Amino acid sequence: MKLDELAQYNGQNGQKAYIAYKGKIYDVTDSKRWKNGLHMARHKAGEDLTDFLALAPHTDEVLKSFEVVGTLDVEESKSTKKEKLINFYQKFHPHPVLIHYPLGLFFFAALMEALFLLTSLKSFDDSAIYAFSVATLMSIPAILAGLLSWWINYDKKTTKIFKNKIRFSILLFFIGVLTIFIRITHPDMLANHNSLYLLYNLLIFANLPVVLFIAYEGGKITWPS
Amino acid sequence: MDYTLEELEEMKEILLIAIPKEISARDFYLNASKKFKTQESIQLFLSLAEQEKGHEASLRKILAEIEENIKKIKNK
Repeated sequence: MKLDELAQYNGQNGQKAYIAYKGKIYDVTDSKRWKNGLHMARHKAGEDLTDFLALAPHTDEVLKSFEVVGTLDVEESKSTKKEKLINFYQKFHPHPVLIHYPLGLFFFAALMEALFLLTSLKSFDDSAIYAFSVATLMSIPAILAGLLSWWINYDKKTTKIFKNKIRFSILLFFIGVLTIFIRITHPDMLANHNSLYLLYNLLIFANLPVVLFIAYEGGKITWPS
Repeated sequence: MDYTLEELEEMKEILLIAIPKEISARDFYLNASKKFKTQESIQLFLSLAEQEKGHEASLRKILAEIEENIKKIKNK
């Protein structure tokens, strides 16, 4: 019997009440503890209850008193495949590994730019834009690994945290590309101190709260309170 | 009990975050069970792993119910 066939034996409207446990299907229709296909107002007949028995106040000994009426066709379900992917992901955890590079480099870039603003030494701005460029580049695998984690661990389900992380990651990348574009196309602005120069500096520092917020939201997933 | 959409969304988020932690805990106990040779120790960790599997299954069930309720409220 397959899972969808088992679901028909839900113990309601005169139907028999069957439950599956470790591949065997038991008829619990006549049990006092399975009225209308419901057990302890929690478990429904017509389902595979294998995973739930470990939490029950009784062992699987209780099932011995019920007739085995068939076997459950156990094929590798989507959730089993997903579980393997989750285990694989949790073994290598690429997202936490990759996020630290852009995070650190954005801060380093801001520090270098701050030193440039204080000393006017161009080498500091060069360091800033190199670090900023690598940070922006490294944010691509970090974001992709984040999306992979979202897909594997959280079924791409949208909640406030995930929406925030996605929106602000897009913003982070956009700021990164725009900043690099300004610096490459207008190298003379460093001497002119024009409005573009102000924007360029603003963007380098603006990415700090953005990247911190993304990391903070990630922290809420890793260490929920 | 009637929940607001905001409460349901919050509950959904909590459950979503908790599920991979149950899977991780189960994996942790399964690996721990492989480190021992005595049946008692192996059974201890296998039993803990099964409990984590039960937690995960329960969370998934509750999550599905919450998502159903969210859908109902949004379709009203």
